Amino acid sequence: MTLSLVLQALFAGVTNGIVYALVGMGLSAIFKGSRVINAMQGEFAVIGAMMTVLLMTKSGWPYAAAIAGGAVAGALVGAFIEVAFVRFMARKNASEDSFLLLTIGLALTLSASVLFFIGRDGHLLPPLGGEGVLIVLDAVIQFHALWLIAIGIGATLALRAFYHRTTVGLSMMAASIDADGAATTGINVGHMRTFTFVLGGLLGALGGILVTPLIGVDYQLGLNLTLKGFAAAVLGGLTNPLGAAVGGLTLGLVESLAIIGISSSYKDVVAFSVLIVIMILMPQGILGRAGRRGG
Amino acid sequence: MTSVSAGYGALSVLRDVSLTVGDGEAVALVGANGAGKTTLVRTVCGLLRSRSGRIVKNGTDITATPAHDLARHGLAVVLENRRLFGELSVRENLFLAETVGRKVRGADLRFSWDEVTDLFPVVKERMASPVELLSGGQQQMVAIARALLLQPDLLIMDEPSTGLAPKVVKDILLVIKALRERGMGLLLIEQNVGIASEITDRAYVMSVGSIVHEIGPGEWQSFLTDERLVKAYLG
Repeated sequence: MTLSLVLQALFAGVTNGIVYALVGMGLSAIFKGSRVINAMQGEFAVIGAMMTVLLMTKSGWPYAAAIAGGAVAGALVGAFIEVAFVRFMARKNASEDSFLLLTIGLALTLSASVLFFIGRDGHLLPPLGGEGVLIVLDAVIQFHALWLIAIGIGATLALRAFYHRTTVGLSMMAASIDADGAATTGINVGHMRTFTFVLGGLLGALGGILVTPLIGVDYQLGLNLTLKGFAAAVLGGLTNPLGAAVGGLTLGLVESLAIIGISSSYKDVVAFSVLIVIMILMPQGILGRAGRRGG
Repeated sequence: MTSVSAGYGALSVLRDVSLTVGDGEAVALVGANGAGKTTLVRTVCGLLRSRSGRIVKNGTDITATPAHDLARHGLAVVLENRRLFGELSVRENLFLAETVGRKVRGADLRFSWDEVTDLFPVVKERMASPVELLSGGQQQMVAIARALLLQPDLLIMDEPSTGLAPKVVKDILLVIKALRERGMGLLLIEQNVGIASEITDRAYVMSVGSIVHEIGPGEWQSFLTDERLVKAYLG
């Protein structure tokens, strides 16, 4: 095993990890704000990426505008799901398992809709920063990966600042910590839950848009990303979006080291075995109890 | 409130409850555990929808007003167990009340940020600490401060003394007395009639979801010395 191979694997791990992190952050933002385990989080990625593809190819939007459009589409679908379904179920005190069933159903519906309306084919987006590559010690690093990492880190920092530095972010945290306490402090808890889904949709869409130049998007991408994002979120303690970022990176790195260390066909087996061991040793998530605190 | 009934699912808890708190008046609601006191609080402050009856504040019907809009009508509540945002700092807890919760502006301001924090020196000292690291008494102070920043003229407090040391309870009573002197109306929900009698003018006694007895102005002493009454209603 050469140094450049290890470097290459580490880089691929970070790149994938950030995608898992974005999906996982959205998932845990939604869980934190509504106690809904969102089994359609990966579908937000598909919606964001497909919308970006369609806006570019069918409507001829410039890439940057199409990306913004894709991200907004994810956020809007998130808001729609809260307003159209979750809100009514929450009013009737639906249990966590009913919500899970709802989101599983929505995931299957969305995936089938993509298959029906857009088709079976995968679509690619152009890499950010062009086709160029950077060679470091013989390891080939695409410019797109650098962009992806920068945007991922930026989104994570922005999310943290949003939770702690903005009134809406603080209100969302307050509503998730104690809904009755928040309501009697003047916070509209229902609106905060809608914002939570907007945030989840936005983060998921961003993850989907960023990963599409690397692996393409098709109707099956959602489930795969949901599973990886869920693993990332659980590793991070589930209620802490920033924990999900750490969880996503861990998952991505373990996966790519499994590829070079063992075999690419066993990467999921190895990655998820390691996750199980981590969860047994650290049942509160990688960040421990501290990880449960704050955003 | 007039003939209000409320409950959870098939369970009806409040039956035809009527009570009144006048401007700047301090009224207690006492009763044994499970009498429905907390359900009454939740109904009045919009966390639980009443099934029938009307709740009126200063002439405005607030029966269907959601909890987050109560401040608009000069009503604030300190819920049982305080219900603070434990992981957030004291400042963040208060900041939310000041920015999101406060519905009145300018001349109608009854309690400025400085006034409220001056009222609670402890709160001022611990501004940056997460609330969950504070003692029970300090948390109660933060909860009261948070409610005051909503600019109420009527404050509802559910069991503010529960689980606190006598010395701390005394501090809290001093604060409540100071608020009363400023003309704050008070509905105090208490199990401890000793505390209730010390700071309220009159009281309602609740049992199994109904008001079963009223203690009028000046009648606290005779009620407390009547063992038969106390035993019958408070167990």
